[in-house]
Amino acid sequence: MKQERLIKGIAVSPGIAVGPVYVMRTELPEITHRVISRDEVVAEADRLYRAVVEVRQELESLMRHTEDRAGIEEAKIFSAQIAMLEDQEFLRAVESLVRDNLLTAERAFEFEALELRETWGQSSSATLQQRVADLSGIQTRVLHRLLGQSLDDVLHEAGDRPAIVLARDLTPGLTVQLEQGSVIGLASEKGARTSHAAILARSMGLPCVMGLVGGIDRIRSGVTALLDGTRGTVLIDPTDIEIADAYEREGLRLELGRELESILGQPAVTSDGTAVALRANVDLPEEVEAAAEHGAEGVGLFRTEFLVVGRTELPREDEQAEFFERIGRRFAPYPVVIRSYDLGGDKFPAAFRAAPESNPFLGWRAIRVCLDEPDVFRTQIRAMLRARASSDVRLMLPLISQVEELVRTREMMALAAEELEREGIAFGPDLPLGVMVETPAAAMMVEELAVYSDFLSVGTNDLTQYTLAVDRGNARLADRFSPLHPAVVRLLRRVVDCALCRGRDVSVCGEMASEPLSILLLLGLGYRVLSSSPGALPLVRWLVRQVDLAAAQRAAVAAVEAATTKEVIDILAQTIGEHVDLNLLDAGRLSVR
Amino acid sequence: MNYGERLVTVENRLGLHARPAAELVKLAAKFESEITISKDEMAVNGKSILGVMTLAAECGSVLLLKAEGADAERAVEELAKLLAHNYQEE
Repeated sequence: MKQERLIKGIAVSPGIAVGPVYVMRTELPEITHRVISRDEVVAEADRLYRAVVEVRQELESLMRHTEDRAGIEEAKIFSAQIAMLEDQEFLRAVESLVRDNLLTAERAFEFEALELRETWGQSSSATLQQRVADLSGIQTRVLHRLLGQSLDDVLHEAGDRPAIVLARDLTPGLTVQLEQGSVIGLASEKGARTSHAAILARSMGLPCVMGLVGGIDRIRSGVTALLDGTRGTVLIDPTDIEIADAYEREGLRLELGRELESILGQPAVTSDGTAVALRANVDLPEEVEAAAEHGAEGVGLFRTEFLVVGRTELPREDEQAEFFERIGRRFAPYPVVIRSYDLGGDKFPAAFRAAPESNPFLGWRAIRVCLDEPDVFRTQIRAMLRARASSDVRLMLPLISQVEELVRTREMMALAAEELEREGIAFGPDLPLGVMVETPAAAMMVEELAVYSDFLSVGTNDLTQYTLAVDRGNARLADRFSPLHPAVVRLLRRVVDCALCRGRDVSVCGEMASEPLSILLLLGLGYRVLSSSPGALPLVRWLVRQVDLAAAQRAAVAAVEAATTKEVIDILAQTIGEHVDLNLLDAGRLSVR
Repeated sequence: MNYGERLVTVENRLGLHARPAAELVKLAAKFESEITISKDEMAVNGKSILGVMTLAAECGSVLLLKAEGADAERAVEELAKLLAHNYQEE
């Protein structure tokens, strides 16, 4: 029973809303087929362009409203829509249908728009599919104008009383207009986090859930629902307890948000004054600014796969060198650790022809690919050496399991440096080389690996997977995959002890570095450099500031002795509970996503 | 009649979607020349945002820019520059 009331979707804008649901049917208006006479052609074309001008004015007004309520960047969504509306090629095509086929303006417009919607809807590009909503928004407005109907009628009906609006698809225009009424939450069957409507809902602070498959058929107008934009769910007919519970979580989420905001710009030091360096993991170039805004002291893991995935050819040396240098300079004086291609499994560029493997995670991937494809690897090494001339970039190798892999990379680095020297190209000869510790083999060989490397960084996701022999993508094994398993904890201790003893910098760049219990453990074990996703940085910073290092060290000693994962978790939770409100952390875990 | 063409790689991580496409066609409209952009087998009018969006050019896509008209060389030059440098947008 309970399960039927709960509909799961995608959390796109956090917050809670409780109220009646209004199911909005903004299906495109019905157009009847009618043929016009030749004499009417000029007037019909005139009507078309008048409607376009009127819709332009509507969109401009929405744009101004969006600027005030959401921001200038968000308002650009509407300047793009205006450009789409006024697309000359499109309008000329509509006009020629009116002129040559004697269709009415609305029929001709619908015809042309339909063709485009089909092309976009069937596109293999998810982004283009999501832009169908923008197209529908414009089409709805133009057709309503041409038919002499007002879209406002529909909206007024929806906005009469505080309601959760549920639609098949939310267009950006609708989202902004609804916000002006008394709408408390938004839900839709289509759409995802990157939909324009989702971006707008977030910047306006309106709770929103998308991707509610079959939502319209399951929810009737008028029923009361609890929309949870933080979890991405809609609960029909919630009980008082469920509502109280949701509001309590919401209260904690907001409280934590205020806490995190209040320490923005403050250093990450433990309560007893030990400094911790917080770096960011960056997957994509556009995350760079977010990382800088959240106060990242450099990048602890810069993934380079985006340079090749989805591309037909590999990026040239110049392109990479320029890019690495730009990122390196962006974070000066802090370092940027660039990981060489971690290709393999499903991550292969079109330029590669890799045979399918029965066991890709134990197969030809990461450093193994780099060393077997020296041309590809050499290009990346040369690009990093060049970027090193003017920035603190560092090279890190993924999935190291043998000392030989480091030795061969060192040889390639020396050769590349000689080449650059001969060619008279500027480069930094002192490019630091690091090992990503992701296999039990690397963890057991830290002493030897340290001889050939300048720093080490633990990738806890893969280290956990390889240590426990548990595929982290397998849902059936989800409860067996824990980086807090005593075996992983003991390897983590080994790595930090051996690295520090050999005078090598050591850090953690896996998901552990953004999990509260794990952070306590890592600090207690002796790690002083953590690298997390940009969005998690405020929480990590806040948590570090709550930690008392002596207590963390005691907890870490006990955790290393523990026999089960549960014991480790209990030890850490108890210690952290002495310093932090655990309920707050539960809320935090949700808000980090 | 001048003619210019160039291969360019889309640098914007999210590809040539609505807002970057709007900027591209706005720039294209400033030129007298006829501008064609093609990807694989598809060719569209570089001054039509709907056309440019239909290309669904993702980051790393290689596009062929062509311009025909009095200011063809300059058009290709400036459009290529925009495509190569708007990776920070959004």
